[in-house]
Amino acid sequence: MKRREALRLLATGTALQLAPHRLFAVLREARKLVETQTAPRTLNAHQNATVKVMADLLIPTTDTPGASDVGVSEFVDLMLTEWYDEPDRSRFLNGLGEVDLRTQALFGTNFIEASADRQGEILTWLGQKMTAEVPPVLRPRSATPHAGSKNFYSMFRQLTLTAYYTSEAGATNALHYEIIPESHSGCVEVPTAKGGAQNQ
Amino acid sequence: MKDQTTYDAIVIGSGITGGWAAKELTEKGLKTLVLEAGRPIVPEEDYVEHVPAWEMKFRGARDRRRQLQDQPIQSTCYACDEWSAKFFVSDKEHPYTTDPDKPFRWIRGRQVGGRSIVWGRQVYRWSDLDFEANLREGIAIDWPIRYADLAPWYDYVEDFIGITGEALGLPQLPDSRFLPPMELNCAELLVRDAVAKHFGPERVLTIGRAAILTRDHGTRSACHYCGPCERGCITRSYFSSVNATLPAAEKTGRMTLRPYSVVHSLDFDSRSRRATGVRVIDAKSRASLEFRAKAIFLCASALESVRILLNSSTPEFPNGLANSSGELGHNLMDHVKSGGASATIPGNEDRMVMGRRPNGIYVPRFRNVKTKQTGFLRGYGFQGGGHREGWERGIHQTGFGAEFKKSISQPGPWRFLFGGYGECLPNHNNYVELDKQTVDAWGIPALKIHCAFGENELAIRKDMSITAAEMLAAAGAHDIEPFADDEPPGFSIHEMGTARMGRDPKTSVLNSFNQAHDIKNLFITDGGAMVSSSCVNPSLTYMALTARACDYALQQMKKGEL
Repeated sequence: MKRREALRLLATGTALQLAPHRLFAVLREARKLVETQTAPRTLNAHQNATVKVMADLLIPTTDTPGASDVGVSEFVDLMLTEWYDEPDRSRFLNGLGEVDLRTQALFGTNFIEASADRQGEILTWLGQKMTAEVPPVLRPRSATPHAGSKNFYSMFRQLTLTAYYTSEAGATNALHYEIIPESHSGCVEVPTAKGGAQNQ
Repeated sequence: MKDQTTYDAIVIGSGITGGWAAKELTEKGLKTLVLEAGRPIVPEEDYVEHVPAWEMKFRGARDRRRQLQDQPIQSTCYACDEWSAKFFVSDKEHPYTTDPDKPFRWIRGRQVGGRSIVWGRQVYRWSDLDFEANLREGIAIDWPIRYADLAPWYDYVEDFIGITGEALGLPQLPDSRFLPPMELNCAELLVRDAVAKHFGPERVLTIGRAAILTRDHGTRSACHYCGPCERGCITRSYFSSVNATLPAAEKTGRMTLRPYSVVHSLDFDSRSRRATGVRVIDAKSRASLEFRAKAIFLCASALESVRILLNSSTPEFPNGLANSSGELGHNLMDHVKSGGASATIPGNEDRMVMGRRPNGIYVPRFRNVKTKQTGFLRGYGFQGGGHREGWERGIHQTGFGAEFKKSISQPGPWRFLFGGYGECLPNHNNYVELDKQTVDAWGIPALKIHCAFGENELAIRKDMSITAAEMLAAAGAHDIEPFADDEPPGFSIHEMGTARMGRDPKTSVLNSFNQAHDIKNLFITDGGAMVSSSCVNPSLTYMALTARACDYALQQMKKGEL
């Protein structure tokens, strides 16, 4: 067993009889199952579908997993239900509604029924609106969702990127995140084998 | 209920100084009771440093609503995050009050190990520039000790703690006994060289000095660079009471560690003029208990220790036990911070950091060292460091799709932060008293804190933003953003000075060995003892003072003086 694995197992407690790495795998699978089976609590079916399509446009599946592979919409629903207060929750849901209104006005369909190109045009419009509405001083460099964000699209991007890059698949595949790096080097070449790791 | 055992010593608090008192007293042969207000800590169950974000409900965004309810003050501390909130008190159970126009942020941890579990681990020696400052400037009272008194005790505690750092030979920041230093990163190397080139030998950028092992040390293992020390450390690579001193005390077989023991007050016997016992409320059963000992060590933090003494008034000490001087609870200090600058450091786009170094940079004090500044007394040091921006930068970009994803999955531009920690002058008018209208969850009167920064601290904070920005400019930085934010005291979590040492019992609470002038068998070895605040992080000095006080207490016991 590698030192790294041993450390991690130590850290999370190995009193149970199951081989620990199996236990973790089982727990993780069980959690995924529960997450995917739970109906959204704040988003309705159409809103949930809209979030999924938008998130996949932002972070598509490529050589690494994409937004829908890691359950971004479940995280968005959790945050809307248990984290944000009412004004922010309404801002988000109204924002989703505006996405459909805009798509209807321009293309005569709901967002999720529009072609990928037209969906892209809507995201570009949302981006322009965000840049105009969120002054640079209110663009935090940290990812913690800030209550009181005045713009729907910045909320959406914050939630989607957080859900993706803090998921196991996103963190380990896209960022090459390692829980226990073992050593530290202050200034090394970006390793090409890892496609530009982000493990700091 | 009275425990019939008479212990040789009782240590109140199991944080960074309580752990040291427990280790020193038990190793010297004393049967010692350690009283801790909070719960026990079992590293294998409580430490969470290797739990990844995807196993946390809010993925690191914290349980916001719960924190707003239970920890509105504690959650302002960066370390009180979704993983480590359990190492901080509930503000509901632990109230304190302030003047409406003078907020104070009191960050507390009640568990075995106290705040040493979540501390910042930065450790710096004081120098005679610090110990002589009050005397030189005629401020408050003189320290009764000098660097030479403490130097052997710095050596002693450092050999046990294990400190990483770089020796510089600076008079204002004496070197510790170092383990190998950690590496600076690309941006830090660049800024270091620019500072050396443009500001001469007065300003030096070095790697932080930290109580973290860079190689195996005794029974503890070298750091494995997982990053978030404030969540615990299963390899005991950073120093805390739980990781180091309490296991050493346990090993002697002479320590009784009693968690859930909220100290209410001390008993004073006016005939023998001794503190004879400690009154405790069991945090779970609420039963009143009493414990007796020959010597009592208060190590509960500058504010908690004073609260206990203020709550132990007797006819002879109507304003708090051991307070014939009237200085108990006064002269509260905390380092002034929230001044500095951040910027983007161009270049090195093809280079990065591997591993998460739990340490930053340090710029030792350069103000009022060789050249005297006119705007303020004393000075400050900078902490902070460089890093490459992460995926978070994509939030306010407008891109989307495969190219966008690829781009923000790569490390972003190098950023750099200088954040100052400045000296706070002792001021009799910054003080605490009991607020008899407010009690905590165990019915003990809460503290009312009266504390505000003065003109000198605010001038220091402003200067931090200027010198930080000029160093970044010299390094060719872009987007330089100086800041001097109006944060209240308490934010540095370096509160100290409330039971100061001194030569004269009329103007100080403790003598030069942390022994109460009024009560020979009572010692206070936490931050309360400090006479001035220096600008460096204080924990190392608290630890050295504690070990020194324990040694003195033993000598006095042998002579029959206690």
